[in-house]
Amino acid sequence: MSAAIPRITLAVLGLAVLASLPYLLDPYWLRIATGILMWAGLACAWNIIGGYGGYISFGHSAFFGIGAYAAGILMGARYGLPFGVALLVGMVAASIVAALIGWPTLRLRGAYFAIATWAFAEMLLQLATILEITGGTAGLTLPPLLDERFFFYAMLVAAVVTYGASYVLLERSRFGYRLKAVRDSEVAAESLGINTTLVKIQAFVLSAAIPAVFGGIYAYWITFINPTSVLGADITDQMVVMVLLGGLGHFWGPAIGAVSMYLVNRLIWTQWANTTAYIAILGAVIAVVVLFLPDGLVSLWPGTRRLRLVRALARQVGRQAPRTGAAEEKP
Amino acid sequence: MSVLELDQVSRAFGGIQAVDGVSLTVAPGEIVGIIGPNGSGKSTLFNLITGVYRPDTGRVLFQSLDITGWRPYRIARLGVGRTFQIPTLFQHLTAYENLLAAAVEGDWRHAPRRAEEVLRLLTLDHVRDERADNLSGGQQKLLELGRVLMRSPSLILLDEVTAGVHPRLREVILDAVRELRDAGTTFLVIEHDMELVRTICDRIVVMDFGQVVATGTFDEIAADPHVMEAYLGRGV
Ligand SMILES: Nc1ncnc2c1ncn2[C@@H]1O[C@H](COP(=O)(O)OP(=O)(O)OP(=O)(O)O)[C@@H](O)[C@H]1O
Ligand SMILES: [Mg+2]
Repeated sequence: MSAAIPRITLAVLGLAVLASLPYLLDPYWLRIATGILMWAGLACAWNIIGGYGGYISFGHSAFFGIGAYAAGILMGARYGLPFGVALLVGMVAASIVAALIGWPTLRLRGAYFAIATWAFAEMLLQLATILEITGGTAGLTLPPLLDERFFFYAMLVAAVVTYGASYVLLERSRFGYRLKAVRDSEVAAESLGINTTLVKIQAFVLSAAIPAVFGGIYAYWITFINPTSVLGADITDQMVVMVLLGGLGHFWGPAIGAVSMYLVNRLIWTQWANTTAYIAILGAVIAVVVLFLPDGLVSLWPGTRRLRLVRALARQVGRQAPRTGAAEEKP
Repeated sequence: MSVLELDQVSRAFGGIQAVDGVSLTVAPGEIVGIIGPNGSGKSTLFNLITGVYRPDTGRVLFQSLDITGWRPYRIARLGVGRTFQIPTLFQHLTAYENLLAAAVEGDWRHAPRRAEEVLRLLTLDHVRDERADNLSGGQQKLLELGRVLMRSPSLILLDEVTAGVHPRLREVILDAVRELRDAGTTFLVIEHDMELVRTICDRIVVMDFGQVVATGTFDEIAADPHVMEAYLGRGV
């Protein structure tokens, strides 16, 4: 109980500092702060299924893109719906899609899921380039709103809700225990009455609904989207690497990873005005994390629990072992 | 009414007939021991009862309900608890968190208090905050049992739960088993330790090559030639 009061004080203080950033930062740094909030939220969402659930999604760009296109289509000239409605529709659409992908693939072991999510995201990317409603390769333009503060606050609210909900659901409730139990041993989890398939689908839906919201805000912020900008595989890559760098399966890992990766990304951009070096750095970060820092930057903080999930997951994705259990041989 | 009834249950893996036409009825409050050489199908039988594997043929009835082919979590929710021969703990969670995780489908509100009690009962309180995979083999076995104790199953299946456990802690396990039995819990116990089987089991089932070759009290099966053959003829 004694630790709870300073923790709440810290949270309130942190929020106050964040909320006053638009009045402290110049427009350039305010945009960077907005971007960091978005990536912190996206990485947190990916960590739900990847870190807490132990299933690697290589298709999270799909959910970001679904949210972005929901905003692009619904807020455009044809429908002219309000921003909030577009966000809601994107979120619901991403949730349904996640349930549909998760239903067959989450019964299998991780490798199948990883491949299925990747294939789905690729398919969606190709689809967006040929469909009329998405504007094909030309993309879509949204009604411009030139208010940087509005977008900062929109991202801030989305990020705070994301972290708040994750904290309650994953660290403070039965759902978190169910999910971690499933990650560590599905056979044992089932033997304790846990419906492992359902828990995995719930986690995947939650993990997919969040990026759709950020995708919607992003589309409205940038005012122009096309298939590669909101459905590109590099969006997934960034989420994954941010989580790995920050600390897979740790609550604050994604936030720490997002801050550091995004700053490095911007730094490289301003120095050399290209992103090729950034891709090399992504690769290097993965190698360093897997070899020397399996719990990411968060483990440099004294007293952090060593989860060592990275190696377990690398092994799991590499192996094609079907899960042991009745589900694989259901009547 | 029987707690558990197996009717001609069989299961093969490739060419190996792991369990071969096993029929068995277990009455409430009974402690049934299952013995037999390595590879005789004891653990597979547990996996068939708990839904980890589906029988090729035969039926499994729990309290007269046909649960053949049910998923493991549904069978568990009916009130079946088990331990695994090779401990399958939640390795990234602490001992305490493993116990909490065992209560997510049960009495969650009282889980923290119950978990502390179970830790004390199994003398695991000094490793409360250790990660499960840092525990010793014997401690892992105890924690497996602890997870079962967190729930209140009416049927408990223990797969070599005392293997590798210090003799003093075996007593703790046996006391816990007796106490639960007195409260009406039914047990199926796989054991290689004959002394333990003798002291605790009401009835013993001997398996060999996937079949039940003898059943009876300890003295009865000790005098049975099949058992002699299974245990002594080929050497254990
Ligand atoms: N999942 C599986 N896949 C293939 N074969 C299996 C599987 N599970 C069990 N078997 C085989 O079934 C037979 C019975 O194994 P089981 O584990 O039930 O024996 P056991 O009586 O528990 O032995 P032990 O005393 O050594 O634990 C063995 O030949 C084993 O190799
Ligand atoms: Mg066995």
